[in-house]
Amino acid sequence: MSSNHSVTEGEARRHKVEGPRKHIVAFILSLALTLIAFATVASGEINTQFTYIILVGMALVQVFVQMAFWMHMKDRGHLFPIIAIISGVVVVFTMVIMALYWVWW
Amino acid sequence: MSAHHHVEGQLPHEPERATMEGRNKILGFWIFLGAETVLFGTLFSAYLALRHNIGDGPAASEIFELSTTFIATMILLFSSLMSVFAVQAMHQHKVKAMIGWLIATVVLGLCFLGLEIFEFNAYVGEGHRMPTSAFSSSFYTLVGFHGAHVAFGVLWITLLILQILKKGLTVVTAPKIYVSAIYWHFIDVVWVFIFTVVYLMGKVG
Amino acid sequence: MAAHAHKVKRYRGIMDWLTTVDHKKIGILYLIAGALFFGVGGLEAILIRIQLIKPMNDFVGADTFNELITMHGTTMIFLAAMPMLFALMNAVIPLQIGARDVAFPFLNALGFWTFFFGGLLLNISWFAGNVPDAGWTSYVPLAGPTYASGHGVDYYVLGLQIAGIGTLLGGVNFMATIINMRAPGMSFMRMPMFTWTIFITSVMIVFAFPVLTVGLVALMFDRLFQANFFETASGGSAILWEHVFWVFGHPEVYILILPAFGVISEVVSTFSRKRLFGYSSMVFATVLIAFLGFMVWAHHMFTTGLGPVANALFSIATMLIAVPTGVKIFNWLFTLWGGSIRFTTSSLFAIGFIPTFVMGGVTGVMLAVAPADYQYHDSYFVVAHFHYVIVGGLVFGLFAGLHYWWPKMFGRMLNEKIGQVTFWTFFVGFHLTFFVQHFLGLLGMPRRVWTYLPDQGFDNMNFISTIGAFLMGIGTIAMIINVIVTSAKPRNALADPWEDGRSLEWTIPSPPPEYNFKQLPLVRGYDAWWKEKMEGKTEMTPAEPVGPIHMPSPSILPLVMSIGLFIAGFGFMYDKLIVTFVGMAITLGCMLLRSVFDDHGFHIEVEEQEKGVQA
Repeated sequence: MSSNHSVTEGEARRHKVEGPRKHIVAFILSLALTLIAFATVASGEINTQFTYIILVGMALVQVFVQMAFWMHMKDRGHLFPIIAIISGVVVVFTMVIMALYWVWW
Repeated sequence: MSAHHHVEGQLPHEPERATMEGRNKILGFWIFLGAETVLFGTLFSAYLALRHNIGDGPAASEIFELSTTFIATMILLFSSLMSVFAVQAMHQHKVKAMIGWLIATVVLGLCFLGLEIFEFNAYVGEGHRMPTSAFSSSFYTLVGFHGAHVAFGVLWITLLILQILKKGLTVVTAPKIYVSAIYWHFIDVVWVFIFTVVYLMGKVG
Repeated sequence: MAAHAHKVKRYRGIMDWLTTVDHKKIGILYLIAGALFFGVGGLEAILIRIQLIKPMNDFVGADTFNELITMHGTTMIFLAAMPMLFALMNAVIPLQIGARDVAFPFLNALGFWTFFFGGLLLNISWFAGNVPDAGWTSYVPLAGPTYASGHGVDYYVLGLQIAGIGTLLGGVNFMATIINMRAPGMSFMRMPMFTWTIFITSVMIVFAFPVLTVGLVALMFDRLFQANFFETASGGSAILWEHVFWVFGHPEVYILILPAFGVISEVVSTFSRKRLFGYSSMVFATVLIAFLGFMVWAHHMFTTGLGPVANALFSIATMLIAVPTGVKIFNWLFTLWGGSIRFTTSSLFAIGFIPTFVMGGVTGVMLAVAPADYQYHDSYFVVAHFHYVIVGGLVFGLFAGLHYWWPKMFGRMLNEKIGQVTFWTFFVGFHLTFFVQHFLGLLGMPRRVWTYLPDQGFDNMNFISTIGAFLMGIGTIAMIINVIVTSAKPRNALADPWEDGRSLEWTIPSPPPEYNFKQLPLVRGYDAWWKEKMEGKTEMTPAEPVGPIHMPSPSILPLVMSIGLFIAGFGFMYDKLIVTFVGMAITLGCMLLRSVFDDHGFHIEVEEQEKGVQA
């Protein structure tokens, strides 16, 4: 038991070097992506089609960044979390197609 | 190894994964988030299908205020950052700092909720209520579900702060902090889609 | 070790059952509750068949008939089939993977009680005089506030919502259990087939049930808060409900059938005394069926006019499912081929399953042909099809599984003679009931209509169908008699009562002790126990030394929490804010207690293990 702990404490010391830098980078990235999205709409200069593409693109990148860094999905041992989220996204994707093309009133 | 053997100071680097219970909790929570993805996805689909059916009520481009949405987005983004700092403090066993970050998370969450209530109140004043149209129903349901998740998160994290004060950081409390942080980020991720799909695209038309 | 021996109150008698977090006991609770609802649903089926025994019958009125078909469908799918599957999952999965319990014992109990109170809420509608009558699919606008103004559909919405929480929790729990709790050496590709199918089933539950939740929420908002999701007058979309329901509903039927595939795989392999043929192709087929299961929902909606592109896509995707299913059928046949087959009740049901399910599958492919579906749609052909896959597939699988694992669950072998009576009456009765319905449908008899005119060629076949339904009833009663007779016998089942057991559940006593495995076993290959037996060993190699075993404490909170939801359900329905508030306060209060007070559990010391603690 005690030997276990000395190992993990050593590990902890090694990990301590790792600062908040990557999270701040992720934050700044998220901030920039959000600003681009809002600016695109606020300016009103760009045509609707292209605005949609920019908006979806910015959202997907931002979500990817936040999931990878803040939700630690880029770390080791996250195979099943990744599978869980991707499976959910696949189901959602089919439903979005359904909502856009196969629903009328 | 059951949880309560450990005392403070002897915690491993990642105390949330020190026990089988902790690992189960994290994995189970991720699976639950997979289910939540589908839950919000279905709400989004309903919204996408019904967004133009405004009946006699106002359209999205008429009522949405970009400035309110922008402030709400910033608040939630900051809140998410506070939450990730809390987990980092936990990994360094800095309990006081962790509590500080958690309090910041909760306060920002409360600000977000206040802003949302203010916003919904304004819409109701403009004749945009649940029964107004299919658009209004699906809008309130989607954004309201997100708001309810924020409210639950605020209550949950508050409760966890109290528990940390009482019990300290242990291998029992650490997984709770960790999954609540994951939950909080997830809510922020959902919000990214809400401000994109509902507000910005709604503004574009 | 005495330092961390916590005093935990351990209950006896009825309190033990109300507070249990032991997966074996929860399995039994699921079985009892599922059997109860199966009885209710079966009775409704018999009443439906009596009404249809002759033309222009007036045994029940049209309104009552609508209520009967709605409640029969809903009860059988959500309250009978699902919990019986959960019964087998709970009873078997932790044993098959060599675990002491599921990942979340507390949530397991919560899942059971929410299911039970959801089911209770739904069935209380019979006594409230407002029974759901919009069909088990509750299509809008029929189920909307305009055309179903009573509280009937509210019972459907809230009952299923609460029961759905339980199912979702179960799905999360079993996914986490199978990923995290496998015994040392049991890799994914060494898991028994039943574990695999339950794993995939749990995945499907996790991704399909939230869709139902949202659909029910939307319907509830429409009905209770004047929302307009499905109200066409205010811009809502009726077609949206159909989509949402079937995006959930189609995976749901695979959720029902995959566990049956797993049971059949185990039973066929055991009673042919052969390794399951094509194990890895079976695994692959299961995963593929699950994936395709999410991609075919609109084949329930060919006649709504989605257009030729959508119809063609969903048509092809549906037919594709026949491929992995066919792989499974052939694998079972090749497993049987050349095996020394024992015809026990269990294996009879498994062998009866194969041709029956093939018939259901073939009519499924027929229905997948979109142009032809315009002819079959909403006729008895469809009724025949889904009863062939659900009764002929799932229920046969359940009977096979129950006879097979009964000694492991209860420590007593079911009587084989009565079992044979069960099989033959049920099997013959089933085909009598539903085979003729194919032709009734092709002749044009519509489903869900309470009576029919004489001399349209429907009379004889409907009569035959009703006789068959009574035979199925007799078969079910025979099973109940069997259970009663057996429960009077001594508890003397051996650890490996079929002598040909292949997986880990047969290495421990029947019924297993509370902690299942005194020492977690070391798994050295697929069919772990068979491998050891073939090498002349009489027990598994342990993977850990003997020591005190940590157990979770029993808790009354899951029960109270579910009662809170049950109360809140009534508050929503009858618009009594205070009742809703009280109910939700009870539930949230229990969640608070659970979070604040840590569950330290207790240890079963080595001396106590020697005495043998019986579950």
